[in-house]
Amino acid sequence: MTTDTRTKRFLNWIDFRFPLTEVFERHLSKYPAPTNLNIWYLFGFLLIFVLAMQIITGLWLMMNYTNSAEEAFSSVEYIMRDVEYGWLIRYMHAAGASAFFALIYLHMFRGMMYGSYQKPRELIWLGGWFTYLILMAEGFTGYVLPWGQMSFWAAQVIISLFSSIPIVGEDLATWIRGDYLVSGITLSRLFAFHVVLLPILLIAIVFFHILALHEIGSNNPDGIDVKKHLDEDGVPLDTKPFFPYDISHDIFALGVFLIIFCSVVFFFPTGGGYIIEYVNYEPANPLSTPAHIVPSWYYTPFYAMLRAVDFPLFGLTAKFLGFATMMAAVAIFAVLPWLDRSPVKSIKYKGILSKTFLGIFVVSFFALCYLGMVPPTETKTLLSKIFTLGYFSYFILMPIYTRIEKCKPVPERVAEA
Amino acid sequence: MKLLLFLAFAFFSGLSISAGDYKCGSIECYEFSPDTKDKESLQRGLSAYMNYCYGCHSLKYSRYKRVAEDLSIPLDIYEQNLIFDDSKIGDLMHISLKESKAIELLGAKPPDLTLEARLRSPEWVYTYLDTFYEDSSRPYGVNNKVYANVSMPHVLEDIQSELSEEEYDRYIADITNFLTYVSDPSAETRKQLGIYVILFLLIFTAFAYLVYREFKKDLK
Repeated sequence: MTTDTRTKRFLNWIDFRFPLTEVFERHLSKYPAPTNLNIWYLFGFLLIFVLAMQIITGLWLMMNYTNSAEEAFSSVEYIMRDVEYGWLIRYMHAAGASAFFALIYLHMFRGMMYGSYQKPRELIWLGGWFTYLILMAEGFTGYVLPWGQMSFWAAQVIISLFSSIPIVGEDLATWIRGDYLVSGITLSRLFAFHVVLLPILLIAIVFFHILALHEIGSNNPDGIDVKKHLDEDGVPLDTKPFFPYDISHDIFALGVFLIIFCSVVFFFPTGGGYIIEYVNYEPANPLSTPAHIVPSWYYTPFYAMLRAVDFPLFGLTAKFLGFATMMAAVAIFAVLPWLDRSPVKSIKYKGILSKTFLGIFVVSFFALCYLGMVPPTETKTLLSKIFTLGYFSYFILMPIYTRIEKCKPVPERVAEA
Repeated sequence: MKLLLFLAFAFFSGLSISAGDYKCGSIECYEFSPDTKDKESLQRGLSAYMNYCYGCHSLKYSRYKRVAEDLSIPLDIYEQNLIFDDSKIGDLMHISLKESKAIELLGAKPPDLTLEARLRSPEWVYTYLDTFYEDSSRPYGVNNKVYANVSMPHVLEDIQSELSEEEYDRYIADITNFLTYVSDPSAETRKQLGIYVILFLLIFTAFAYLVYREFKKDLK
């Protein structure tokens, strides 16, 4: 018997019991990827890589981390100093968190640009949105674990936001903390969320996200429905198999990503204070508040909104309204598929209004990101208010501007685009 | 609880601004770039630290043995000269001064300094050591430009009066280099390893590009 037939017989044995060949073909070697996918379509693959990296480095960190208020800080230094390559694992995990957010923001922006959330991809978009929510919770809970000054005070400030909710607020915040102020009890429960509940949800939702995508098929930069034109085997004409054509592209991109990522990990592991804040090199001290409490850069746009709302309204406190605004800014992504009334998907064929409002959104997002990092002044708070309006205008006015603007005709085939 | 919340809220609504506009308290930091490759400087810094700082400031996240090995000091010599109590060479660098005693003597607990150079920056440490000045209103007759009303006496006063200005600058540079090293002992290994990792990735990416280019040809 030759090796070839032996392999075949083995595969047959498996396939009779588990659809191995079918899964491989459906999701890789026969998954039709549009021929016009561009650089914006790399981030999904890179996100999967970073997710795997976070899980593996996280697992190794967990082997040496102690989740008590007394031991947490010194156990992190133990990892940094006494564990073999502990410093590498921790720096990778810390920089990995920032990379995760950078990539997911790019991935989300791709969806917004090319209308990937539109019918029939609403559930894919919702799955992605839920992933983002879980990731924010994962980022926050992870940030608290080193139990430095910034960990402690960030937890204190974030959890205290819940106390601004009318009537139930104070009790709710106490219930979340498990104590009257952030303590070892809070640390323990955030640790449990960070290493068990949230990663399980994250993996489950990502699985759902990819399964739904592979059922419907990928969108493309022109928003052309490639399934309209099939060859005699029923394969869309304007596509190529994901494996090996896209995967080879993705692996090349992974190399470029890793060069950037490893340059940070090995040469700038604290990222100038943006990846690991310097204040966090001091152990948590409930009796001394750091001068500036700043969240990680990936939350600062929402933090700027929280600070921008500094006036009470209808008997509700400014703090609660700010908190509600911040939550709404994250939640509003979920209804995006139903706000867009445009007959076309891609920004390429949408009218000038859609382009302008997407531009306003991008500028507002970056401006708020900056404003959330710096200490507020009167001018800066005013700017935060303006950019918060800019951010929301993209969403709230969308049903109007996408209906009234004039779109360009979308070509039938990719080659005509 | 209410007070804590108020404090937190006050700080992030900008009612309270940090101590000064400068990174080094009342002045700009002096220029200083740490050199953690200079082993002789690190050894001198260690010896100065052990003699003048270690009485009050522990390095409790670091181990004697690690410092000895990283600074190329033979373990027996280290044990004989730089361990003052019955600690073992593999122990963490705790001090014997009790917290209650320190508060009685100085009015505050001297902080652990393992991570000081990362928390504040090496420039801050260097500038701090260089800016003690006479101030009769303070219990020890000295004050500091970087850390206003600091509880610490000027422990290097004798050294500073014996040495010329240049020699003293080198002396505190050695201490700062040592504190920079001890705040991030893996830094040199990390940078060395990093070069190999990046080289590997460049080769990997070049081959990945060639594979990608081959497949791309099929599509035309």
